Amino acid sequence: MSEMTKKNPVLKILLGNSRLIVLLIMVVVFTLLTGGKFFSYKNLVNILYAVSLYGIMITGASFAVLLGGIDRTVSGNAALSGAIVAMTILNRGVGGGNVALAIFLGLGAGALSGLIHGLILSRFNIPAFLLTLATNEVLYGIVQYVTGNQLIYIRDCALMDYIGQVRWLGIPIPVYIMIVCVIISYIVLNHTVYGRQVYSVGGNRISSELSGVPARRDILIAYIVSGITGALAGFVLSSMNQQASSTQAKNYENDVLAAIVVGGVSMRGGAGTIQGAILGAFLIGVIGNGMTLIGIDAIYHNMIKGLIIIFAISIDMASVPGTPLNNFFRRFKQKKTA
Amino acid sequence: MSEKREVLFEMKNIEKIFSHVHALDHVNFDVRKGEVHALLGENGAGKSTLIKILTGVYKKDGGQIFMDGKEIEINSREDAANAGIAVIFQELSLIPTLSVYQNILLGKEISKFGFISDRAEKKQIQDLIDNYGFPVKATDIVETLSVAQKQMVEILKALATDAKLIIMDEPTASLSSRESELLFKIINQLREKEVSIIYISHRLEEVFNLSDRITILRDGKNAGVIEKEDIVPSEVVKMMIGKEVSESTASRELKTSNAENVLEVKNLTHLGYFNDVSFEVKKGEVLVLTGLVGSGRTEVVRSIYGADPYDSGEILFEGKPIKPTVRRSVANGFGLIPEDRRTQGFSPLLSVTKNVALTNYDKLAKSGFVKKADEDEIGKKAVSLTDLRPANPNVRVGDLSGGNQQKAVLGKWLTRDLKVILIDEPTVGIDIGAKDEIYNIIEGLAQQGVAVLMVSSDIAEVLHVAHRILVMREGRIIKEFNDGVATQEDILLASSGFVENQEVA
Amino acid sequence: MKQMRQETIRRIISLVLLVVLTIIFTLTTDTFLSWDNITSMLREAAFIGIIAIGITLCIITGGNNLSGGLALGMVCMVFAHLYHYTSMSLLGIVLVCLAAGLISGVFNGFVVSVLQINDFIATLSTGMIFQGITYILAVRNQYGSITSEMIKNPTIQSLGGKFSNGIYYVTIAWLIMTLIAQILLKKTKIGTYIYAMGSKRTSAEYSGISFIKIKMTVFIIAGFCSFVGAMFMLGRMGTCDVETGAALSLQAVSASVIGGAVFSGGRGDMIGTLIGVLFMQVLRNGVLKFNMTTAQQAIISGIIIVLMLVFDAYYNEFMQKRATRAAAIAREKEGR
Repeated sequence: MSEMTKKNPVLKILLGNSRLIVLLIMVVVFTLLTGGKFFSYKNLVNILYAVSLYGIMITGASFAVLLGGIDRTVSGNAALSGAIVAMTILNRGVGGGNVALAIFLGLGAGALSGLIHGLILSRFNIPAFLLTLATNEVLYGIVQYVTGNQLIYIRDCALMDYIGQVRWLGIPIPVYIMIVCVIISYIVLNHTVYGRQVYSVGGNRISSELSGVPARRDILIAYIVSGITGALAGFVLSSMNQQASSTQAKNYENDVLAAIVVGGVSMRGGAGTIQGAILGAFLIGVIGNGMTLIGIDAIYHNMIKGLIIIFAISIDMASVPGTPLNNFFRRFKQKKTA
Repeated sequence: MSEKREVLFEMKNIEKIFSHVHALDHVNFDVRKGEVHALLGENGAGKSTLIKILTGVYKKDGGQIFMDGKEIEINSREDAANAGIAVIFQELSLIPTLSVYQNILLGKEISKFGFISDRAEKKQIQDLIDNYGFPVKATDIVETLSVAQKQMVEILKALATDAKLIIMDEPTASLSSRESELLFKIINQLREKEVSIIYISHRLEEVFNLSDRITILRDGKNAGVIEKEDIVPSEVVKMMIGKEVSESTASRELKTSNAENVLEVKNLTHLGYFNDVSFEVKKGEVLVLTGLVGSGRTEVVRSIYGADPYDSGEILFEGKPIKPTVRRSVANGFGLIPEDRRTQGFSPLLSVTKNVALTNYDKLAKSGFVKKADEDEIGKKAVSLTDLRPANPNVRVGDLSGGNQQKAVLGKWLTRDLKVILIDEPTVGIDIGAKDEIYNIIEGLAQQGVAVLMVSSDIAEVLHVAHRILVMREGRIIKEFNDGVATQEDILLASSGFVENQEVA
Repeated sequence: MKQMRQETIRRIISLVLLVVLTIIFTLTTDTFLSWDNITSMLREAAFIGIIAIGITLCIITGGNNLSGGLALGMVCMVFAHLYHYTSMSLLGIVLVCLAAGLISGVFNGFVVSVLQINDFIATLSTGMIFQGITYILAVRNQYGSITSEMIKNPTIQSLGGKFSNGIYYVTIAWLIMTLIAQILLKKTKIGTYIYAMGSKRTSAEYSGISFIKIKMTVFIIAGFCSFVGAMFMLGRMGTCDVETGAALSLQAVSASVIGGAVFSGGRGDMIGTLIGVLFMQVLRNGVLKFNMTTAQQAIISGIIIVLMLVFDAYYNEFMQKRATRAAAIAREKEGR
């Protein structure tokens, strides 16, 4: 087999990435089961459309997870930025309908939220999951307050119409935005000092700090980035829907988390890639879409997502020595060899 | 205490082999009833292996164990506990938020149908405490107690299980002298109540004062058993070191170089950790800080590096006073090989290259962007400088052997323009071959003009690499070896507190 | 130098919060301290409280449980489903519901202790699974869309009733369960083990206490709490839909945190949680009495939780620093 992989780079990539294989198998299976309907242009665009939002959030949120934390406020940031953008464009409160200002304020709100989380989480030993669970509620509370719990329709905003409606080469603009985000994240993680430090601090914060790495600053930046990408996703979502609401993006954080762990990013920090996380988003998107097409009710989707998360983390944990699952597999292996 | 009491516990011809090396070679050891029996030996002499066998952590590869004259097998902690053997842990095994009596009876509650009888428990434990007169109350919450009190609770926990043999491993390491005195009083009480104690400590003074008998191990073999009345400190030390050691590691000719000072430390004090520490490290010199674990060596080094604070004193680098922080130190050309490489030395999931490059990005990637080729260059450089094996910079550091992990940590700094390197116990848990290579690297650094400040407890190692030696004890520099010959005996006696004159010219 | 323990300080903080909020509402509204309002507040508090009992136990072991409310919703739906689609006896249905509650606990315990998945993520995922089951079991009309099912069984309906003095049955059930849980924590072996496991897992395991057993125990109790809460919820609402109980988990977690449960484990008790539940309910009541929006309420409770978390972290750090410093100074004064 090693002979074959040397000669064939495509095979090498495939064998090196089990998730890609699973994704391809899924695509084939759903295509066959739906008589080709799954693989239709319209449906594939649907999947891309849905995944693009998660994808944008993932590009930032992955930084937090790689550093051993987690950011569940991606959805709250999205809702907040959507609301602020809508309010500014509709000239309620500040701004006077200036789109550039609206975007600036929307992303700025995300950055501010990320800054606050980063300040707390880089300084104190607090479970990030719980903190961001609580603050996400606060963010939605603020959004309700800002919007007065009303659906806000955004009309006559050329830029947002463009993002929401226009397609380049038949592909919706949000997909391009996601691709740009992914490329930037990929470059940052793989080709910059900051990226190197993220992996190092996630793997061992103490040793990194003793090597002169400013771990606190790095964590702070990660949450700010996560806040900005969450806000960006909110802006894109508002563009797609032509509206902002106080429940915008609600529960997206669960899908983002699922995609990241399914994509092989370790919840313990320090291991995983952005391309893996995006692949995880596609896997979840494809499964959801495929199940709907072959007639599995949407009511099963949450359940299956829950099982997928448990399964993905179990595999991660089974590689940790001393856990019951690890012992079980080792005993199993020993029996086999004996 | 001169009458010979009967033997309680005996180990005969104990053998333990780790990958073809005899860690214990036909070791005999016995403890009498109501005896304080000290177990002495240098690091690696086999003390901890022996203790691990008698507490069921390791399985012996040969020999017999007797308790009260009957042969017993100890294959687990439970076996040891059932036989009446208890260990007082250095790493305390208590539950902080529970009370003293709950801790002592944890897993052995007095209960009916699962309901605990608090009153009976409190009474039983308070009676036990009163019986020994310990200054704790049964209802105290453990987290509010001092270290010494917690240790007493550990001892009570052992006594509550009717332990006949209690093992104390460096029990005074984190106690103040007043607290230590209290512990000694307690040990004497235990002795009067016919409880036997195996006492392990590097502090020879207290060992000599306390023990009824001393068993000395050396290189996994019995080196001698001495009754209290026959104890002569210098003889004991000789037995620990052995006479047949090769000339090269028994002593060393020291020489103060006349190169300029790179690092100067003046009256550095961190209350409770070290006090009034002054020394200088010259260009191209290896200065070794030795002494017992807990004497403040690591803390001095960490404060110089900026990883810990200090209260007063001055640190001068190339003649200019500095206020160190880790990042400033790195920028100044300092490097640190930390005490525990696993938790402080490297990121286990990352490759050698990425671990090594971490300290080099200030030069390697000024723009913030990393060029893979430059990085690989650094990785290769580190591998060749340290002779790391396998000679592949893409291996994850977590997958390397201990010695090669340490080489990777060294690689972080060897690839930089170093002025000062601080090295803390570089060869703990590393096999002999790799040790020599690491010594060569250290010597090489010195020859290049780097000022080396090293912490080590391993006396053979100290004598192998040192140009000058400082001995620390209880947070102070107690003795300096600057010129002339230093022997193992000199250093061991000084570390243990047997020292008359401050300065040896 | 006797220092106040973390529990004591947290207890004082939670009491002060409760008292201050109560005073504000009493002074600013006429009806706040009326008997009617008190009994109805205690009824609503009971549902949060019953779920919070299980959650507090999980937090004391050093974990959490975000699935309690969704498990309650699932048990409700199991009842509605069997009631609508089968002719099972009431007792049979209740027994199946009990089994469903306990199984939800076993499943949580398995994922957390055997698979060793972090409690937050584990119970978030199991919560998604419970919610999925709720949707699957949901009662549908002839067009196939989900409807809410009316439970017209008099026995169940009577669970929603009250004593002649106006106090609801569910309030009493909650208080009794709180008392039992407090006794379990403070007076039994299992309780001691729960604290031990949360306070220092390695030491607890060294004393022969099984991590898996303790985790299983607390999650099964939490499952039982979901079952009891579900029965009273059916009695209270007389109906059930797919959203039943969904909001409870977060309120109950908030109540536990405000009441003094500390997330690193080993601290907290049922009295604290009782105070926390009352606080949450008074805050919720302010929505009705004080024209406060749910948004303001979410912001206030969220910020309080964040402050509590920061306080715990800061306090631990501060105390540790002080203790090492004190030990160092003692060494310096007395020699080593």
